[in-house]
This record gives sequence, structure tokens and C-alpha cells, in this order.
Amino acid sequence: MTVTDRTADHCAAPPATAADPSSTRIAGAPGVTEPTSPATPAWLLSREVALCPCGCIGKRRKGSFVQKTLNGGADLLRQVMFSDDTSSQPGLLQRLDARVKLVVLLGLVIVGALLRSIPGQLVLYAAALVLAVCSALPLGFFVKRVWLFVPIFTGIVLIPATLSVVIPGDVVVTLWHWDGQPEGLTRQGLTSAALVVSRVATSISLVVLLTLTTPWTKLLGSLRSLGVPRMFVLVVGMAYRYLFLLLGSVTDMYQARRSRSVGAENHDKASRRFVAATAGALLGKSMVLSEEVHQAMVSRGYRGDVRVLDQPRVRWIDVRFAILMAVFGAALLITEQWVGR
Amino acid sequence: MAADPQAEHRHPESAAPGDPVLVCTDLHHSYLDRFVALDGVDLTVRSGERLALLGANGSGKSTLLKVLNGLVFPSSGTFTAFGESITQDTLEDEQMNTSFRSRVGFVFQNSDAQVFSPTVRDELAFGPLQLGLSRAEAADRVADILRLLEIPDLADRAPFQLSGGQKKRVAIGTVLVMNPDVLLFDEPTAGLDPRTGEWLTGLIQELAASGKTIVLATHDLDSLDRLADRCLVFSEEHRIVADGPPLDILGQRQLLLDVNLTHARTRLAAAAPVIGNP
Repeated sequence: MTVTDRTADHCAAPPATAADPSSTRIAGAPGVTEPTSPATPAWLLSREVALCPCGCIGKRRKGSFVQKTLNGGADLLRQVMFSDDTSSQPGLLQRLDARVKLVVLLGLVIVGALLRSIPGQLVLYAAALVLAVCSALPLGFFVKRVWLFVPIFTGIVLIPATLSVVIPGDVVVTLWHWDGQPEGLTRQGLTSAALVVSRVATSISLVVLLTLTTPWTKLLGSLRSLGVPRMFVLVVGMAYRYLFLLLGSVTDMYQARRSRSVGAENHDKASRRFVAATAGALLGKSMVLSEEVHQAMVSRGYRGDVRVLDQPRVRWIDVRFAILMAVFGAALLITEQWVGR
Repeated sequence: MAADPQAEHRHPESAAPGDPVLVCTDLHHSYLDRFVALDGVDLTVRSGERLALLGANGSGKSTLLKVLNGLVFPSSGTFTAFGESITQDTLEDEQMNTSFRSRVGFVFQNSDAQVFSPTVRDELAFGPLQLGLSRAEAADRVADILRLLEIPDLADRAPFQLSGGQKKRVAIGTVLVMNPDVLLFDEPTAGLDPRTGEWLTGLIQELAASGKTIVLATHDLDSLDRLADRCLVFSEEHRIVADGPPLDILGQRQLLLDVNLTHARTRLAAAAPVIGNP
């Protein structure tokens, strides 16, 4: 059945509306306007018969790749805006110099890597939570952001190590018997897995603390204090800046596709071709843009070396925070050693 | 000279009003050796002049502006600025580069290309710092420009958080902060809402009144008489086919039709008194 047949059989075409009095009508052809250019086809100037009348019939399909891409782009922007908001609100970590904060939190991550007991990791994690509260971060969001992903990515990797068939040990949960011997989860395996999970969670919490309380530009600038070359920092900063421009282009292209799509979008060959074409167009756009950006830099005196305005100063509060955290980290390591004996 | 109120603000080596500052002779340029952009262009820009480059899309206006800013070098022909030859080789010289870049500023049509730093403040400070100003002096200039452009609240914003009009203000600020003698604008009012477009037209008039030399490429024929006091018209064959005051050019309806600057159905407000449009 052709579209025309289907329309004629099931979908009544909407009645023609009143014509625009300013347009030129073709005699004897209602709804058809006289072409203004010989190249304009007549069908373009006549009203299209709708494929189907408006109205829901209850049949839904969700989860097209186009919609997922659009949602992904919007989510990224939302997250960036949220990080910008949290980094500008009044709080302990927000008041600190970005370089001091970077070095201190990185130092605490190293302390976490050196701690070999679960209680030690829990104390460090508790310290991270206290810092989050003092920095006015929403605690529920902060905890969820870490614990939603740690069990998935770390826990799954650690499951084999908890089994007695992989690493022998004292079986505490018997899953099956092999040759009369109980096999299952071992005490040693579970302890090691808990240690690794708590270590990963603590480290990620400290990094999330840093990113949520520091504007991206200052975080990038603080990398210089770790000896990262200026040119590298500049390139990363520009890549981040143009990411949003290219994200806007991708969103436009996907929205344009969506606006012209009829019915459900499948993961078929045409879809893959569209994704490849989008990537190609984006590459072309980014190359043209990079050429123009370089010209704009040269136009304002760029000759290969970049100077920046911001010269942040370390204040007394930064020094006090750094000393406090250094003492805390050292005390944690020494206490663990002492208790371990 | 003592009577000239602008004299004390002028660059020590600035040209006197009316002196040639940018001179192009028989410029030819092709992209990829195939696509002609300029075909024998001669041009003299005088100090304090407001010059508009008119032409259809792809006629060579933007390429000429990039030649005038030493970003594109012609395949043949010569370009001199302030009496010095500008070539890829001469701009390799540090002193020559700094001198030329500090005296000729270029506002790109695509503001996204021009606003590349992480924040507006960093963006405005980029030029002055590159040209060797101290951080304190650059920071003072940035503060002044933020006030002038009425955007102090945008200082710490990232470029992706700005609207099109705000980006254009920042892009103009990045050039003004260097206080160049010559300002090149590529389609300055394109894509701007009426209020921002009007603000920009007023700013260009104010800059010109202060003695700056303005060269702009535009399609905005309605504001032409306010933006320029001389026009050069490009043909679609990438040559200059007319040179004269705005109202004279706008009065030549057949010329505007031939170079695809107007259409038989277009009504030009600025040209109405001249060509008798209702």
C-alpha cells in the first residue's frame, strides 16, 4: 500500500485553510501558488497531504541513539553548570588557593594509597565527608556520585579475587563443594576487596571534592604548580573551551535529523552512516575553526609563548590548611603503623 | 599640532590625519592555488579614514582584511603598513611584529574564533600581555574595557556561557584593549540584534571621531552612511569596481545590482533620499 493509498483509506487529509490573500493562485488548482521562479517545483508550492492525523494511539518506542546523544550533551552541560555553581558558593575549600588545594588533596590521595587497613581508609573517607560538609556541598549528592560507580567498576573486577578457587584462604561463605572441600568467598579475599573498594572510594571522593570546589579555569592554572608545561595547560584549556562549541554543533545536527525523522530511529546502516557523516562534518568544522583561532591569536601578538594575567597568592589560611592536612595525614599513617604492631 | 586634542593620545609613530597608513598594490591571492579571492586589488587607506568594503559573499572582502592584518600573504603584489613592507618574512622580526600587531587590530566575523581563553578576563588580557605590557597595566586596561563595554559582570564567565551579542562585545574588547591605530572589522553588525547593532554602530562612530582608522567589510547598506565616509565595491570577479562616498555608491543602483549587493526588490533606507525610494 502506498502512502497515498494509506492516507486515502485511513487518514483524512485536513481541510484546506483559507489561502494567503497576498499569494498568487493558479487558476483551477485550489491551494497551489504560482511559482515565482521557473526552478521551483509545483509540488513545493502546494499543501502536502498529512501522512497521518495528529493524535496518540498509545504505541511508543523509546531510546533512539539520537535522543540519547541529545540527552548526553544536555547532561554534560548540566554537570558543568552544577560544578560551576558549587565552586562559587561560600565554603572552606572554595576559599583556598587552587594550587594549595590541588597539592593537599593529591597528598591525601597518596596517604590513602599508603594506608593498608580498612579502618584507616574509613577515617580518611570520614575526613573527606567533613571537608564536603564544610564546603557546603550537598552530602547526598557527594556520596552518591562516588558510590554509584565504585561498586560497578571496582567491585566487578574484584569478585574473582574473593573466591577460594582463585586465591586460597579461609572460606567464610560456602558456594559449592569440590572434592569434598568447601569452595566460596574467603575471609582474605573479602578483606582485600573491601580494602581496595574503600581505597578507590576515598581517592575518588578527594578528587570529586577538588573538582566540585574549584572553577575549571583555576584548576587548570594550578596544574602549572605541579610543573605541567604552560603550552600543555593552554591547549587543554582551549580544547575544553571549544568542546562546548562542538557539542552545540553536534546537538544542532542531531536535532536537525530528529526534526526530519518520521517513525522510530533504529540502529541500522543508515544510522551508522549518519554518525560517520556527523563525525566527518565535525572534524571539518573543527579544522576550519582551529585555523581561525590561530589567526585570531597571531593577530593579537601570539608568537608561540603565552603570558597569563592571573598571579594567585598563597594566603595564611592556605598555609594553615596545608599544615593541618599534612599533620592529619602523617598522624593517620603513624597511628596505623603503631596499631599494626 | 598643539591644537589637535588627539595628538597627545596618539602612538609616537602614528601617521598624521590623511597620511597613507595601509597601501596595497596589485594584490592577487588564491586559496589552494585554485580559488581566486583577490584579483589585482589596489587600495590606500588614510589615517583617520572610515572605509567600508562592500561586495557579495565570496567577493574577497574578508581575505583583503586578513591581508591588511598580516594573517594572509598575497600570492603577488605588495602591502605596506606605516611605510614598512609587510610580508611573512618581515613579520618574523620581533620588533616589527610587536609594532604592527599593536597598531592594527582585527575583529573577526566569527566571535567564537576570537574568544578562545577560559574566561572573559583572560581573553581581554591576552593581547596586552602578548605585546609586553606588565600584568598590572594589563589588569587596569581590562577593567577599563569591561566598564566601557558594560560587561564587568561577565569578567569571570566562560565563553560558552555568553550570548552572541555578549561574545561580540568581548571580541571587540579584545582588540580595543590593545588600543590600535587601525581597526579592521569583518561584518561587525552581522547577526546582532537591533540594540546591539546600534550600540556597535555608535561605538565605531565614536572610535572614528577619536582619530582611529576604521576599515570594515559589511553588507549593512542601511547603516553605511553612519559607518563609513568612503566605500570600495568588490565585484564578484574579486576586483574593486567602484570607490566613493557612501551616498554616491548607494545612488548607483545599477552598480549595486551588478555586484549583487542589492536586489531589484530591495529598499534601502539610507539611499532613499538619493535614489528616490519611497
